[in-house]
Amino acid sequence: MSATTISPLSTRRSLDWDRLWERFGISVVLLGVWVLAAIFIPAFSNPDNFINILRQSAFVGIAAVGMTMAIISGSFDLSIGSTLALAAWTAVVTASATGSALIALFAAVLVGALVGCVNGWLVTVVKIPAFVATLGMLFIVRGITFIITNGAPSRYNGPEFIWWGNGSLLGIPVPFIVFLVCAAIGAAVLRYTALGRYIFALGSNAGAARVAGVPINLVTFLVFVIVGIFTGISAMLLGSRLYSAGPGLEPGFELNVIATVVLGGTRLAGGRGSMLGTLAAALLFATLGNVLNLLQIDAFVQRVAVGLVLLIALSIEGVRQRLAERLSRE
Amino acid sequence: MSTLRRLWQTIWESYRVGLFVIAVAIVLTLLTPRFMQAENLMNVLTNASVTAIVGLGMTLAIASGNFDLSVGSIAAFAGSISMSLVPSIGIAGGVAAGLLTGAIVGLINGLIITELRVPAFIATLGMLTIVRGLTLIYTSGHDIYLYGQTGYKILSAGAMPLVLALVLAALLGFVVKYTRFGRHVLAVGSNSAAATRSGVRTSRVLWGVFAIVGTTAALSGMIISAQVLTANGRLATGLELSAIAVAVIGGTPLSGGKATMIGTLLGALLVSTINNGLNLLNVQIFFQELTTGVLLLIAVAFSIRRGYHPRALLRRQA
Repeated sequence: MSATTISPLSTRRSLDWDRLWERFGISVVLLGVWVLAAIFIPAFSNPDNFINILRQSAFVGIAAVGMTMAIISGSFDLSIGSTLALAAWTAVVTASATGSALIALFAAVLVGALVGCVNGWLVTVVKIPAFVATLGMLFIVRGITFIITNGAPSRYNGPEFIWWGNGSLLGIPVPFIVFLVCAAIGAAVLRYTALGRYIFALGSNAGAARVAGVPINLVTFLVFVIVGIFTGISAMLLGSRLYSAGPGLEPGFELNVIATVVLGGTRLAGGRGSMLGTLAAALLFATLGNVLNLLQIDAFVQRVAVGLVLLIALSIEGVRQRLAERLSRE
Repeated sequence: MSTLRRLWQTIWESYRVGLFVIAVAIVLTLLTPRFMQAENLMNVLTNASVTAIVGLGMTLAIASGNFDLSVGSIAAFAGSISMSLVPSIGIAGGVAAGLLTGAIVGLINGLIITELRVPAFIATLGMLTIVRGLTLIYTSGHDIYLYGQTGYKILSAGAMPLVLALVLAALLGFVVKYTRFGRHVLAVGSNSAAATRSGVRTSRVLWGVFAIVGTTAALSGMIISAQVLTANGRLATGLELSAIAVAVIGGTPLSGGKATMIGTLLGALLVSTINNGLNLLNVQIFFQELTTGVLLLIAVAFSIRRGYHPRALLRRQA
């Protein structure tokens, strides 16, 4: 009974703090990092450099839009790194066969959606937990990519195709524009559609959601297809950016994407998260890499720094919880 | 009839993976005479042992309701440190230093999870990146060779990896079944909150678990580097996923609270036998990833029919 002595006012206030940090914390950190970098590193505020950051953030960011929805719904997808390679290769080959960037984009999205369908089928029909199902698919899709590409990357540098990864519109890099559009669509789906509300419901409490009539299998299936589609978009842009794609593309991509989503404040346990956070986190990781490059810190130290940022960002909440517990005990 | 059926059911449930291994071995023997040659069998066993050793540690982590994604990085880090120290402190010292490195990194994983309250998935994901980076810094991105120190090969020569894997499996199997620590690991894995309420010191249990996982990862890493007498920052990339795969193929449920060390040994043996067979039959090496994936899905589909609830994992990741 002693727990009830905490006044409702104070609990509500601390809750608001939580919510605020969860929703805007990472954006504030991003702005802080930008201000500090602009003050202390002269080359940082150079427009070309800044544009570069925006472009770099898009490739992981677009896939992270889909992953945000998956994690909010309480699942996640480890297969996207393999899917990325297969879809990017498909995009490059299609572009070089047809000369059309839009058909290439369509092909990549199709590949992503197909892998998503298989993932969704494994999770909802065969009832394999998402972690294992998508881990299995990671191996399978990578194997398939190696087999059909025979281990070698394909290249294509038609101007229309490579514009998508390398070009700009009104000075803004095309991949970043696509990223913004994807994030806006993702946020709109989460906020304004039934699917979005179902995703939150499923992630908060799957049992309650089912009892309340949420078609949980359909929602889970759709979430995996959505993840595949966004991965396909990201893959096409990456293939275009690099003029080439093959089975060796981006090992560890899935973990970078999950790290981005989680750094953005989306809970791994599901039920809570935001697209704004994912956008800010993708920019923060890109900024971090850029700043370390400008400071001429070598690539090895960069890895350590990226891991540390992830751990520090995610331990803040736990440490604050512990402090709160200690205070309430006294 | 029903007795027979029950007998078969018991055999099926406990030795399913073993039966698969035997079936695959029979098929391979019929398909190619090279499979049964002693040298080839030794090869299969050695490859199985390397994954099995880290897989055994991972089995303990999964039984405690967690994963460790950092084992590949730990393997590379421990391998590099151990090899670089051998010229100055000798082979025994180098091996001890490698094991200690693994235990310390594992303990740090445990501390991050319990003290900073970061979910194990994210904590070890962060450590995957950090420790990989540290390894690359430590080796300056170059290879570490051991010229003339062929004594280090003792780790990978002959039946040594197999013996290590068997001893480790027996040891961890004993720990899980007959020690207080082992029962606490299973308790934390089945229901962490209930375990805490019943007086289990959850934090200490997890420190122990992750230190053990780190040590097994280090041992695997040192065996891999001993095989070629080389260590570098790219060693054992992706080992974490293979380790989880063999544990799951072996029958350890991802929902926690249960562990089968023999299953993990057999899971590793199954993967290595099939990969070896594909090699002998001149199937493209690329098919090996495909088989691991398919095996993983089949194994789990089987374990689900035994009534393990697929949503359990999702709930636990808080």
